[in-house]
Amino acid sequence: MWTEKYRPRTLDEIVDQEEIVARLKSFVKAKNVPHCIFAGPPGTGKTTAALCLAHDLYGENYREYIMELNASDERGINVIRETVKTFARTKPIGEVTFKLLILDEADNMTDDAQQALRRTMERYSETARFILIANYSGKIIEPIQSRCAPFRFTYLPAEAVAKRIRYICERENVEITDDGVEAILDLSGGDLRKTLNILQTAASVGKTVTADLVYAVVGKANPADVREMMLTALNGDFISARSKLRELTRKYGLAGTDIIRQIHNEVFRLNIPDIWKVKLADIIGEVDYRLVRGATEEVQLSALLAKLVEAGYEMKRSAK
Amino acid sequence: MSSSPYIPWTLKYKPKSLTEVIGNEEAKKKILDWINSWRKGIPEKKALFIYGPPGVGKTVTVEALANDLNMELVMSDASTYRTEEAVKRFAGRASQFGSLFGRSKIIVFDEVDGVTGSADAGGLAAIVNVIENTRVPVILIANDAYDPRFALLRNLCIMVEFKRLSVTEVARHLTRICAKEGIVADDKALKFIAERSSGDVRSAILDLQALAQGKDKLTYEDVSWLAARDRKEEIFNVLRMILYAKSATTAKNAVNMADVDLDMLFEWIYENIPYHIKNPTELAAAMDALAKADIYRGILKETGDWSFLRYIIDLMTAGVAFSWSKKASGWIPFRFPERIKIASSTKEERELLEEIGRRIGKKCHMSSSRAIVEVLPYLRIILQNNPKVGKRIAKWLNLSEEMISYISGTSG
Repeated sequence: MWTEKYRPRTLDEIVDQEEIVARLKSFVKAKNVPHCIFAGPPGTGKTTAALCLAHDLYGENYREYIMELNASDERGINVIRETVKTFARTKPIGEVTFKLLILDEADNMTDDAQQALRRTMERYSETARFILIANYSGKIIEPIQSRCAPFRFTYLPAEAVAKRIRYICERENVEITDDGVEAILDLSGGDLRKTLNILQTAASVGKTVTADLVYAVVGKANPADVREMMLTALNGDFISARSKLRELTRKYGLAGTDIIRQIHNEVFRLNIPDIWKVKLADIIGEVDYRLVRGATEEVQLSALLAKLVEAGYEMKRSAK
Repeated sequence: MSSSPYIPWTLKYKPKSLTEVIGNEEAKKKILDWINSWRKGIPEKKALFIYGPPGVGKTVTVEALANDLNMELVMSDASTYRTEEAVKRFAGRASQFGSLFGRSKIIVFDEVDGVTGSADAGGLAAIVNVIENTRVPVILIANDAYDPRFALLRNLCIMVEFKRLSVTEVARHLTRICAKEGIVADDKALKFIAERSSGDVRSAILDLQALAQGKDKLTYEDVSWLAARDRKEEIFNVLRMILYAKSATTAKNAVNMADVDLDMLFEWIYENIPYHIKNPTELAAAMDALAKADIYRGILKETGDWSFLRYIIDLMTAGVAFSWSKKASGWIPFRFPERIKIASSTKEERELLEEIGRRIGKKCHMSSSRAIVEVLPYLRIILQNNPKVGKRIAKWLNLSEEMISYISGTSG
């Protein structure tokens, strides 16, 4: 996969994010790294930066000195207690006196797990340093935040992404039109992972990567979307909206909380009276709360869709 | 839902002639012989008592017979009161002058089991009276003829037993219906439905309709998940009682009516209410009641405290029933809960998908759920459009052949 093939190996190879790279390089030089939080939107190089830092710090065999955990897959408190402790406890052999623990998607950790993590970070800070990677640093509990050096990653500017696209096309012998580049930029919005996935898919499907091809590929990759489901409900068709919901969860494995987050984002983009946006936000919050409390995803989300149907109906009535 | 009228297939494919009625040949011959004997004058036994389990064709046989012989049926079933007074009013005149005016008549008391002591006081005695004095054929129909209350009646009647239909007979009938509906059906699937019906052809036809209507193909996979499900008819009755309950107590009691698993009943209600409740405000209220029941269900599961059960039942029954005005818009068939179908048919699929996500995630430094959402759709397109490149990538991701063919096979 091009996302992996073209993932930078060393800090020097990282394009853009200059400030961050400079700070990380100073850590390498000092052979000392504090606990860090890498926060920022997807596809902006957080995981890459962590891996590059490890590479530069430990050399080619860096894999022996790090542990990569994904909090979404292993977010339980037991993982923190067992796996992390076992790893963090022992001193590595070599110049660098600590190991590196990279905890990806850390904002998906439960509060309990975060509390456990906080203790572990304190107790083993001699032998292990933590890099927490998150989309939103706000979801990391305060005591952990205060122990970490914060790094804010931002979307790459369009020119940097465009340059990357052309560079890869050259290396892979792929023809791409100018409007093809524009289309990818438009759809990926500065997310480099998405950029490369779209590019590779388009390049493997057609001879020349054009805007039409890019839109076709992305359209096929995301046939069912949350916005469409919401519009269907607002138009009064509950049964179709529920089918779309089932498609999202079943075929695309979207979790209820992901869908809720997207619904919330979309509400404020919908062309509906502001008063309804607020009303719906309130209802969405209630559903989110219920999901956290362990209610059944589909049933709760369906109840939300029924509310959207009702909202659409009320809006039409008051418009008359 | 489309606006095409829903006709139960039991009605649509109701036999018009005795020859179309399946099975129970012996019983049919007995009935035909008896009715023919009326041509030579009033026979010794003026009544017939047809009995047997539900859905084997008792009533249908009588109707087909009347149709063949161009006779008029004077029918009474459990939906009408059958007090002494009512029976006299209904059958008195007809049993005396039947053959003098127009077509000859048959008097039929269907669902005699339903003539209950208190509500239909004196009803059975009145039926005995009708038989003793009738000048036209009388037919009684019941599930259980050996109820002690029927002792007197049995002495006056020729007893005709209807037996459960064999699996082959039911399956053959389902095949005919499928042919007429233009559905290509797996023999195994039809046999499965037939077996489940335990000789009740009516329930088999209703099962078939619920599973196959609107499709052009019916496979064994479409029906196999039905195994070990509660008897549908029971669930249908309970559902109807809940959705259309006139009092909160009726709605709540419906739960105890049949031996239906509560979680299962929840799924049935959840699946079906949008098809019945069309007003958006009412639908939102009903879904909200269900969603609240679901919250208590979660608490019960988490704490093991069964005292929450009462709120679950309140909300999912009475809560739903009184969210809406109960304006039935025609006959709306009940649907099998999609969620159960999904859950049981794709558990393996889900596990496979998760494992695919884990493997991609491992190589691409992301969680399995994000891998499924962000990477898998693109990989699928590549595999489908450029298998050579796709397979190379899949191999690099450590995906097995099974995984590759799963990804290529599922549509985007």
